[in-house]
Amino acid sequence: MFGSGDDPRARFGRDALAWVDALHNLARYLTRSDADADDLVQEAYARAMASAGRFRAGSNLKAWLFRILRNAWLDHERRRGNDPAQPGSGLLEADAPDESAELLRDDLELTWLRRLVAADIEDALRKLSEEARTVILLDLEDLRDEEIAEVMGCSAGTVKSRLSRARATLRRELRAYRGR
Amino acid sequence: MMDHGRARELLLDQRLPPELQRELDAHLAGCEACRAGQVAERELTALLEEKLPQHPASLALKRRLAERMGEARFDAPAAASRRARRLVPLAAAAAVAAAVALLPLALRNRSAAPLAAEAVSDHLRVLEGELPLQIVSSGIHEVKPWFAGRLDFAPVIGFAGDSDYPLQGGAVARFLDRRAALLAYKRREHRISLLVLRPDGLDWPASRAVTVRGFHLLLWRKGDLGYALISDLDERELGALAAKLR
Repeated sequence: MFGSGDDPRARFGRDALAWVDALHNLARYLTRSDADADDLVQEAYARAMASAGRFRAGSNLKAWLFRILRNAWLDHERRRGNDPAQPGSGLLEADAPDESAELLRDDLELTWLRRLVAADIEDALRKLSEEARTVILLDLEDLRDEEIAEVMGCSAGTVKSRLSRARATLRRELRAYRGR
Repeated sequence: MMDHGRARELLLDQRLPPELQRELDAHLAGCEACRAGQVAERELTALLEEKLPQHPASLALKRRLAERMGEARFDAPAAASRRARRLVPLAAAAAVAAAVALLPLALRNRSAAPLAAEAVSDHLRVLEGELPLQIVSSGIHEVKPWFAGRLDFAPVIGFAGDSDYPLQGGAVARFLDRRAALLAYKRREHRISLLVLRPDGLDWPASRAVTVRGFHLLLWRKGDLGYALISDLDERELGALAAKLR
């Protein structure tokens, strides 16, 4: 299906397809349906193959593909009249309050966290802004800060603060599911 | 001296340089709040890794991608002209023309191959139920307006369907990186898909007939739109429908 192993196009295609599950996972959390996630992934791969000549060998292909996918999603949102990057769009994350006092509680605080079910965790994650959701998901994919920065279009230093705030907000959202 | 905010940010980093790690450890040794924060961050990470639902791609999507990427070109127009130069030996103009005429059909059709493969994939999605008709109607005056607001162009359809080739409905399909209008026709028990799209940036042929995996396809350009007609119907009857559409 991919031709000979020596064909660079075939090799690139195989290498890129190895990340399809990770890409689809992010796509599913960016969009609201399996069909839209499928469309987004297909568009990302079409763009990736069209610009494969610009991929720097030796750099992180997964991070490169994530960047293409997210840019495709941003383009789509802008065509729909949403600009996720604009202040006041309602999609940017406000600073989470300092929770150090709450974190001093005993182990019961952590017990309820462990009892949360998958659907509630996903629900809480979806309530976050796209930026917060994406930075959390990219961090779980084990990307370095510099790589997350390339996907998000920000500096590496900003990634740490965004991730910290995003996770704090997620913990706050998860409290709503405590005791259900 | 590290402050709380900086320490909280660094708690998430598993790959700190040794010097920074020592600085963080020193802060944690004297800060109960940040130590509690470290425990909370580890718990949250464990929770997300163990329980956050993952959404892998379906086998159907993987298959479609593998098929399309196996036949895709990196920089289509440039690659095609480089390939053509390798295939056609240097010779006088007449000899070049003769050599091209003797090329196997598969090679002459090479530039249309990835487009044809994509069109067949869309047709298969209709046949397999993955792409159901979103408007079911035999009336072109109902189907065509339905696309308004769903595409960035207005599909020009010159044939409303008739008793030989009844129109069945339409859907929005995905063709590579763009949306396309898909209209479904029928001839006896044979289902026929017509794709209409903006071929910008694609090497869309003026007029081409190809066969891919047993499906017959006719591709053509009219105005600034590209058309692809796909079916397992025999070439003569498919050609008759294309003549009505053109």
